[in-house]
Amino acid sequence: MSRLANRIFVVSLLVAFMSALPAWADSHGKAGQYGIGKAATAEEIAGWDIDIRPDGKGLPPGSGSVEDGEMMYEEKCASCHGSFGEGVGRYPVLSGGEGSLTEPRPEKTVGSYWPYASTLWDYIHRAMPFTQPQSMSDDEVYAITAYVLYLNDLVEDDFVLTAETFTSIEMPNQDGFFLDDRPDTENTTCMEDCKDPASVKILSEPTMVTLAAQEDVAVTEETSSVDDKVYRQACQMCHAAGVAGAPMTGDKAAWAPRLEQGREKLLTGAIEGIGIMPAKGGQKQLSDQEVATALDYMIEQVKQD
Amino acid sequence: MFSKPGSGPAVLRKVSQEASKVDPAKRRDFLKKGLAVAGGAVVGVPFASTLSAAENNLPPNLPEWSRSLGAGVITNPYGMPSAFEGEIKRRTVPWLTADRIAAISFTPLAELDGIITPSGLVFERYHAGVPTINPDEYRLMLHGLVENPLIFTIDDLRRFPSTTAINFLECPANGGMEWRAAQMDALQFTHGMISCCEWTGVLLSTLLEEVGVKPEAKWILAEGSDGSHMSRSIPLEKALDDTLIVYAQNGEPLRPEQGYPVRIFNPGWEGNTSVKWLRRLEVGDKPWYHREETSKYTDLLADGRARKFSYVQESNSVVTFPCPEKPLKQKGRYELEGLAWSGSGKIKRVDVSFDGGVNWRQARLKGLVLPKALTRFSLDFTWDGSPALIQSRSVDETGYVQPTFAQLRAARGESSIYHKNAIHTWRLHADGTVTNVQIS
Repeated sequence: MSRLANRIFVVSLLVAFMSALPAWADSHGKAGQYGIGKAATAEEIAGWDIDIRPDGKGLPPGSGSVEDGEMMYEEKCASCHGSFGEGVGRYPVLSGGEGSLTEPRPEKTVGSYWPYASTLWDYIHRAMPFTQPQSMSDDEVYAITAYVLYLNDLVEDDFVLTAETFTSIEMPNQDGFFLDDRPDTENTTCMEDCKDPASVKILSEPTMVTLAAQEDVAVTEETSSVDDKVYRQACQMCHAAGVAGAPMTGDKAAWAPRLEQGREKLLTGAIEGIGIMPAKGGQKQLSDQEVATALDYMIEQVKQD
Repeated sequence: MFSKPGSGPAVLRKVSQEASKVDPAKRRDFLKKGLAVAGGAVVGVPFASTLSAAENNLPPNLPEWSRSLGAGVITNPYGMPSAFEGEIKRRTVPWLTADRIAAISFTPLAELDGIITPSGLVFERYHAGVPTINPDEYRLMLHGLVENPLIFTIDDLRRFPSTTAINFLECPANGGMEWRAAQMDALQFTHGMISCCEWTGVLLSTLLEEVGVKPEAKWILAEGSDGSHMSRSIPLEKALDDTLIVYAQNGEPLRPEQGYPVRIFNPGWEGNTSVKWLRRLEVGDKPWYHREETSKYTDLLADGRARKFSYVQESNSVVTFPCPEKPLKQKGRYELEGLAWSGSGKIKRVDVSFDGGVNWRQARLKGLVLPKALTRFSLDFTWDGSPALIQSRSVDETGYVQPTFAQLRAARGESSIYHKNAIHTWRLHADGTVTNVQIS
């Protein structure tokens, strides 16, 4: 290579190198300078890369119909969100609320508020069902997503959701959002006679007693003749807090109809899973005997005086 | 001259509090046992004393603890607060959330001094409970629009140059229950979704350099590894500015409640973006619009539109003494105290009013005044027993002045939930008690 050609080669290499880096990188060093960390393989990335974007980027192959979704929704979602998406207790309402955003008590649902359908697929897959996140197949996520869209009158009852039909969905409130433009208030640092003292009136005071009621909130330590180790490890998380409709430990009213079914039936449900409760509460390493011990503990809590 | 309320006979207070939890039938017996039960039950160390002995511990007598030996070293290998301070704790508001797995607890701001929140009192916000993560099995993946996607262990992260900063962490829903009217009866609940810690970790910009960010990159997705897999889109400018990948808090490894072993931390921004139990960072060219930046953490205005990506926690302040938990017990001299903060930088000044905002006096800033950190202010005053309407008003280094409720509602209506930073009013009654009010 001639000296000139050599110089051109070096310069073009340099240009190629610099254009591949963002401007900030110049003053901070270069990629890989520390040599710390292990290269992430495509397989490793694929296992964790679960995010979906509004343009559909990230949606996997698969499909699910409104019809399929109805049954799955009833089994996995309705105990918290209600059969029609109306919400149970303080769990999120999923449907309704159209036109309510300007009302004093807006109802922010998938149909009335969410700007993108991709968010629904992403979130159901990412975090639902509440007690067993990421336990559903892609087809199940498609089906339940389709059903929640149906509950919001966004698709017809014969709709089948796929990565392709996804782009046909239009969310009513897509244009309802704007970028942060604060500050949106302008106060002054007036120091004297800033307003008429006669205009100072009390508008509201708390109506709820929260601090004084705190002792009622603390988790009470139950004493029991039955071993509660397994209960504490595997069951307490949901059954002490009443998560997703789980009958709360010690709640006699909630347990009465269950006790009527008999211990054997309850035990079968606990071992095999029932409704939203996973088999053995999701702790598959437990033996059937250990599950039985935990169940006996919980039964004892509603039999005690 | 200056008497701090609540510092009276703490011993008696403690016993009566313990007694109040006991079945009335058993209470008399409980009180007879006195401190032996209260002290012993809580700390598990001998505390042989009685109610009458409490008086014997006062001058001119020599207190019991001066005439005996105490517990030896590593009685508590990891030390705990005095058993007499058991009421200084996080508390929750049960009706706020459906359960205690996806829920929030509040920092007891009235009980704290200085600007650092002890790690065990930092407010908690979970969406799927606290995961138990073995640090040996922890990995952070950084991929997307990068030259070399990498996976880091804890040891890897600790090999990079580290940065330490004192910053507040605030849930954007802090005070959200007060948008429509005064509702909560304690400072812990009106303002307790904020804490301030020393955070140590590696700058995200350092990790981004290491993987080599492609020119078209504009956003980063941060994702947690708990059951909720919390995810937020963060603009690249912030990531290259002061975003930290944190592994330590107040000098020790992050607490499980705060994202152990690793969280992302965005100083001055809404706490939700500081994703805990961080497992993955993906570099991309567009935001992801996930659930926590569309359905939640967007600010609905009166006209039905909503503000999105409203990251910054604008300047706010509150008087922490007196307050509902810390009433005035007698007339005389006091030092009013409070906390101010701004996600835009340092606090420049704080003013205090005793007449509901008609007249104001400038407070002094105490101790460290750091950007995006809690800043303590105080003002000497003499209480003559008159009722008062106490307010504080912060100004940050950008010149932003904390708004009134009227100004905030005029701009946003009453349904925003998030980013309520209006001037707060405590009503001081003639008997020294303090209640939460909103005024015109």
